[in-house]
Amino acid sequence: MMMANSIRQEPSAKTGERLLDVKGLTIEIETRNGPATIVDGIDLHVDKGETLGIVGESGCGKSLTMLSMMRLLPNKIKVTKGEANFAGRDLQKMSNSELRRVRGGEVGFIFQDPMTSLNPVMRIGQQLAEPLIYHRGMSKAEARKRAGELLKLVGIPGAEDRLDAYPHELSGGMRQRVMIAIGLACNPQLLIADEPTTALDVTIQAQIVDLVKDLRDKLGMSVVWITHDLALIAGLVDRINVLYAGTVVEDAPVDALFANPSHPYTQGLLASIPKLSDERSTRLSSIGGTPPEPGRRPKGCPFAPRCPLAEAICHDRVPTLEGLNHDGAHRVACFVAQRKLEAA
Amino acid sequence: MSVVPMTTTPIEIEPPVSLWRDAWHRLRRNRLAVFGLVIVVVLAFAAVFGPYLTPYDFLSQDLNSRNMAPSLSHLFGTDDLGRDVFSRVVYGTRTAFLVAIVVTFIAVLIGVTLGALAGFFGGWLDRIVMWLTDMTMSIPNLLLVVVINASLKSPITSWMESRYLATLNPVYRETIWVDFLLVFGSMALISWPPYARLVRAQVLSIRSRPYITAAQALGLTNRIILMRYVVPNALGPLIVAVSAGLGTAMVLESAFSFLGVGVNPPTPSWGNMISDGLRVWQHYPHLLAAPAAVLGLASVAFSFLGDGLNDALNPRGAK
Amino acid sequence: MMAAQPLMRIEHLVKHFHVRLGAFGERAATVHALDDVNFDIFEGETLSLVGESGCGKSTTGFTLLNLHRATEGKVIYQGKNIVELDEKAMRPYRRQLQIVFQDPYSTLNPRMTIGEAVGEPILFHKLATKAELKDRIATLLADVGLPPRFASRYPHELSGGQRQRVAIARALACQPKFIVCDEAISALDVSVQAQIINLLLDLQQKYGLTYLFIAHDLAVVRHISDRVGVMYLGRLAELATREELFEHPLHPYTKALLSAVPEADPAHERSRKRQILQGDVPSPLSPPSGCRFHTRCPIAMDICSKAVPEWREARPGHMVACHAVTEGLLG
Repeated sequence: MMMANSIRQEPSAKTGERLLDVKGLTIEIETRNGPATIVDGIDLHVDKGETLGIVGESGCGKSLTMLSMMRLLPNKIKVTKGEANFAGRDLQKMSNSELRRVRGGEVGFIFQDPMTSLNPVMRIGQQLAEPLIYHRGMSKAEARKRAGELLKLVGIPGAEDRLDAYPHELSGGMRQRVMIAIGLACNPQLLIADEPTTALDVTIQAQIVDLVKDLRDKLGMSVVWITHDLALIAGLVDRINVLYAGTVVEDAPVDALFANPSHPYTQGLLASIPKLSDERSTRLSSIGGTPPEPGRRPKGCPFAPRCPLAEAICHDRVPTLEGLNHDGAHRVACFVAQRKLEAA
Repeated sequence: MSVVPMTTTPIEIEPPVSLWRDAWHRLRRNRLAVFGLVIVVVLAFAAVFGPYLTPYDFLSQDLNSRNMAPSLSHLFGTDDLGRDVFSRVVYGTRTAFLVAIVVTFIAVLIGVTLGALAGFFGGWLDRIVMWLTDMTMSIPNLLLVVVINASLKSPITSWMESRYLATLNPVYRETIWVDFLLVFGSMALISWPPYARLVRAQVLSIRSRPYITAAQALGLTNRIILMRYVVPNALGPLIVAVSAGLGTAMVLESAFSFLGVGVNPPTPSWGNMISDGLRVWQHYPHLLAAPAAVLGLASVAFSFLGDGLNDALNPRGAK
Repeated sequence: MMAAQPLMRIEHLVKHFHVRLGAFGERAATVHALDDVNFDIFEGETLSLVGESGCGKSTTGFTLLNLHRATEGKVIYQGKNIVELDEKAMRPYRRQLQIVFQDPYSTLNPRMTIGEAVGEPILFHKLATKAELKDRIATLLADVGLPPRFASRYPHELSGGQRQRVAIARALACQPKFIVCDEAISALDVSVQAQIINLLLDLQQKYGLTYLFIAHDLAVVRHISDRVGVMYLGRLAELATREELFEHPLHPYTKALLSAVPEADPAHERSRKRQILQGDVPSPLSPPSGCRFHTRCPIAMDICSKAVPEWREARPGHMVACHAVTEGLLG
């Protein structure tokens, strides 16, 4: 296990005030056989100035959870329970006009695929200007000027000249920077990034991660970064939530998570990442089986069917997130892990 | 064996479901499509068995009961030769189906072959086929049919009569088949291009899919790839097109018969019945209404069925 | 593990694609996908090709198997230059040279059952009789960790990882000597990737296979390879054993690439100084002159924009194409 002998050197300006507070959020999908649960009573929060990483594999509901914040869910998928509070207001209960002001104005969203997330028939200058005009009431001229500044901020060379370019004229990395610029346009308090680098080459990925780090420090934003790649966010985030089958199974500060992964799923994930320090052809430990489908959640802990440590109680009751330490900073939803702690 | 074994997944509890069965389930749930299917099946039944079950023979005349309105003894009334309109409409169903099926079959055969070859091999073959398609589509349908009919019908009929007189072979007596042959031929000739285009587009799209490259990498021959990998995957839109095409062919046949270049009396066709009925509709509306209504119903039924098949076979968000 | 005589020699391989650009296809252009690629593959080894978009690694895999016809150059297998062969002559070789593709969701014919998909090459290449077929399919499925009853299932009933296993079984059905894994795990979840990597290693042991492993994930490449080749914009930049490449990278691009790979160690990640390359990868439609990397290279010299660097052995078994290395300024 990695020893974290350097505590995070530059803690971001955490004030402990919760900017985003999700409680008991449940998302269901309409299927042929009735509603099926995708996200099951999830609790998560982001403090002001904090960077949260949400990690999980496909189908775990990480994107849907964030999309549901903004009420951007696709047709057959609905939030059926719970609340999502942003700066004290429940996003689920807001009126449409209030919500529109939040979207883009106070919460910026960066989507995964810059190819399809930018309007192909609109110049990027225009796409950047739109939120500025709508949310900040700028005039066209002011918005255009600010758009140029934003492009420069995200490191696009010859910024002002590129304002009139169409998305297809830019490379993948450039487009993603434009997406980031749009997300940042109105100086949001919270930036939600949904796998923004998955579709990019690794050297470009490094550029983008650096850029977001830089901007976050400069603008003092809170960031939620959704990914399936634990290694990617290791140096970027303050805290990590590990999602499995629509529930948070582990919630820990980043150093604690890597040093002491307590949920068997987290342990499995970390163990299956090939590390540069491995010997050649050591067997990667892998997690047998597949995640449950929405309509077929097992009774009890959703990970139990695949868990090497599962006991009788795991198949019977759903574990809740409980703190491992006194300060409750490192929480796990696992009977076995919690029992180990009591025994210790 | 050190490979991590798969744990039991839910799919093992249910039987294998091919994409076809999946589509069938979807179709069944679509009410309009089911309605269309039912109508089509009823009409097909009428086409095959109807003429044996009708109360009257479609040819028998009863000059005492001419142009009678619909009644219990004559469901759709009688025409000006005292023939039972209902029985004639039923026989007309057989005509319609016969023509539609044969014509569509020939058109699909030609269209699929040419389209698949053009799409798969590309190059000069593709260019020739596309040129043929364009040529055929640019000639006005009606003109082509009329020209074929006008120029070929009398010579062929006379030739058959002379052969009959020469050999007394009863085969040459059935000049009614000349009618059908010319109708089938000319209609197939104008119907194949859309199928060719459709299949070509499908094949072009399928050709670049990874499982085709995989099949090539396995060393399989082009013939096998075309027949087992390409065509089965192109069938979806083709089935939809055929269903709609049958409806179109029926309307087409009626149109041509209406104009006198299709099936001629005394063989009943909805088209020539409509033509006759049109002359006297103000006095005897039932003569027009009956065949027209059935033609309309058939067309709508095929249309619903085609739409339903489309939704069933090409669902949005399919894996 | 490595014999003296290579299984396959790739000599001066060139692949250009001619495309039409513009809204009406009015401009003709050339994509320089591969230019003067040279390397050998030895029997039983796993040779990986890494690089970013447009580097030509997938094109290399396809061209080696004649799925793309090379523009120039030779691919010598069992003494024959297979580039020259027409499709008919190529067919017997296809059995021995197989490929597993990236996307498990489109690699299988949706209208064929798993059993049919795996059985097709067996029957076609006459590797078993009809009577033996069922058992052969069951054995292959078991080899890749799938229960034999999956043979009657259709692809859409399987998960991505399971489909990829079927794709591997299908490749194995031909009893090949050589398999190109074209980003075979990139589209899978992390935990499934680990399963498939283990599977590939096991199969290599069991059947004595040679792999050309094309990937962009350096951590995986490090885990699975004997030798690694780094490609950039259609050319090989560096080729060496795994240890050599990761411990003594010579080419500036390789160094930047290694530097960009994140490690699952927060303290390390926070403190490392990344070497961030400026700008984007140029387009293969108009590659830079001379050394194609010179536009982004932190140590580019005058000569780099003028002359293509020589592909030479800088250290034993370690090939590089870089002027700075040639002139003894690095390594």
